[in-house]
Amino acid sequence: MRISSLFYNLKQGLLNIWHNKMFSLASLATMTACIFLFGVFYSISVNFDAMVHNAEEGVAVTVYFDEDVTTSQMQEIGDMIAIRPEVSKYKFISADEAWETFKKEYFGDEHSEAADSFSGDNPLQYMANYEIYLEDVSQQKSLVDWLKSLDGVREVHQSEAVANTLTDFNSLIRFISGGIIIILIGVAVFLISNTVTVGISVRREEIAIMKLIGARDGFVRAPFIVEGIVIGLVGSVIPLALLFFLYKKIITYVAERFNALEGMFAFIPVTEVFRILVPVSLVLGVGIGYLGSKITLRRHLRV
Amino acid sequence: MIRLDHVSKTYEAGVQALDDISLHIAPGEFVFIMGDSGSGKSTLIKLLQKELNPTRGKIMINGKDISKLKQKQVPDFRRKVGVVFQDFRLLQDRNVYENVAFAMRVIEAPRREIKKRVPYVLSLVGLAAKYRSFPRQLSGGEQQRVAIARALVNRPKIILADEPTGNLDGGNAREIMKLLEEINERGTTVVVVTHNTEIVRAMNKRVIIIDRGNVASDQGGE
Repeated sequence: MRISSLFYNLKQGLLNIWHNKMFSLASLATMTACIFLFGVFYSISVNFDAMVHNAEEGVAVTVYFDEDVTTSQMQEIGDMIAIRPEVSKYKFISADEAWETFKKEYFGDEHSEAADSFSGDNPLQYMANYEIYLEDVSQQKSLVDWLKSLDGVREVHQSEAVANTLTDFNSLIRFISGGIIIILIGVAVFLISNTVTVGISVRREEIAIMKLIGARDGFVRAPFIVEGIVIGLVGSVIPLALLFFLYKKIITYVAERFNALEGMFAFIPVTEVFRILVPVSLVLGVGIGYLGSKITLRRHLRV
Repeated sequence: MIRLDHVSKTYEAGVQALDDISLHIAPGEFVFIMGDSGSGKSTLIKLLQKELNPTRGKIMINGKDISKLKQKQVPDFRRKVGVVFQDFRLLQDRNVYENVAFAMRVIEAPRREIKKRVPYVLSLVGLAAKYRSFPRQLSGGEQQRVAIARALVNRPKIILADEPTGNLDGGNAREIMKLLEEINERGTTVVVVTHNTEIVRAMNKRVIIIDRGNVASDQGGE
């Protein structure tokens, strides 16, 4: 297509939107709502992911050994743990280290005499263990099952409730947001399709003349494709701008209002959220606009 | 230029509009097609524009069987055939210049070419001074002149005019016919479908009469 034709069709597409204000506005509003909600859920989701990841770093699986397991057998088990993909890091705690930590935690410095009464005996002599930290909490159960199946492993401790709750909650957010976004995408495609249908019926005579004087299919369709894409594009730029300002305000508000959260984790900066959100939203907006027009043109404009 | 070999057209409802028609129109000819309503003359025009395909037979235009054209070849074919309608079919929201330029824009002609060609064609049809007028500001005859300019602007080899004087009074009708004759004298083949026997008689051109889907008579005027 020539540059002049491109501008001509761009102008015609914009005129279609202008002539068809009410339908265009309805499509634009739905598109804005759709992308806005997508942005909101995406922002919640990435922050929640960060929260889960933060929590994961504190969630450990502890492996205790049978009494007759030798140090070299423990080393072998350690080597096997090291190559598991779901393990982010692991640490060997010898029986002596376990006793030292226990003494500090339970007797403290003031009651060290009480601890000293155990003299040379280590009451935790069979409590040497591996502390294992995971990349992804959802993998915890399979790791625990595998650890339990190993020879020489007496017991495996895990913080199942925390891990599962966090993972389940994040899945729930994604499931609900996914559902709402799919419904909104459907509504947006439907409304854009209606807008383009009205545009086609308004310009039916012009289209008929175009076809009779030798316009190519692409040229006849182009203004309607432009119409859908422009609605999609504007419908994603508006919510992105809104989200940009709201995100900053909300994280400042939440951080001030719920001081306790601040110690637990930090919100992801707006620039980092938008690095993914902007291209995805624009592609989504333009894609929905294009799809809405394309479906309608296929149905109503056989050129 | 235009050759129909045993062309028949039957619509889906079973109505036979044309029945085994054969005819030949030479390059540069001016031909009237006459017939009563429902005789099949509109179907014939639609076949020549490739708005319809024949049920049987071959339609050769400029040496090509147009019934065998692929969908994507149709625009190129239509660019070589200018069409004029009884009801003008002008875009009411665009002025005279834009209506004519529209025909060049949709075939993606260069802007420079449009700026050069449109005023020239408007002067040919005698509307150079009214290039900024909108269709509603023009008489029926003037509107038909705009439609002829639009049909002419892409230098078609053939002009098909379907009842071009049907909405015009006697004086305007004669002027439009004179214009079409001038266009024909410049080398364009002109096929005019009409009911107007007075004009047909006055112009003394070849007349093909269609009756119930058949060629009832074909008489050369000159």
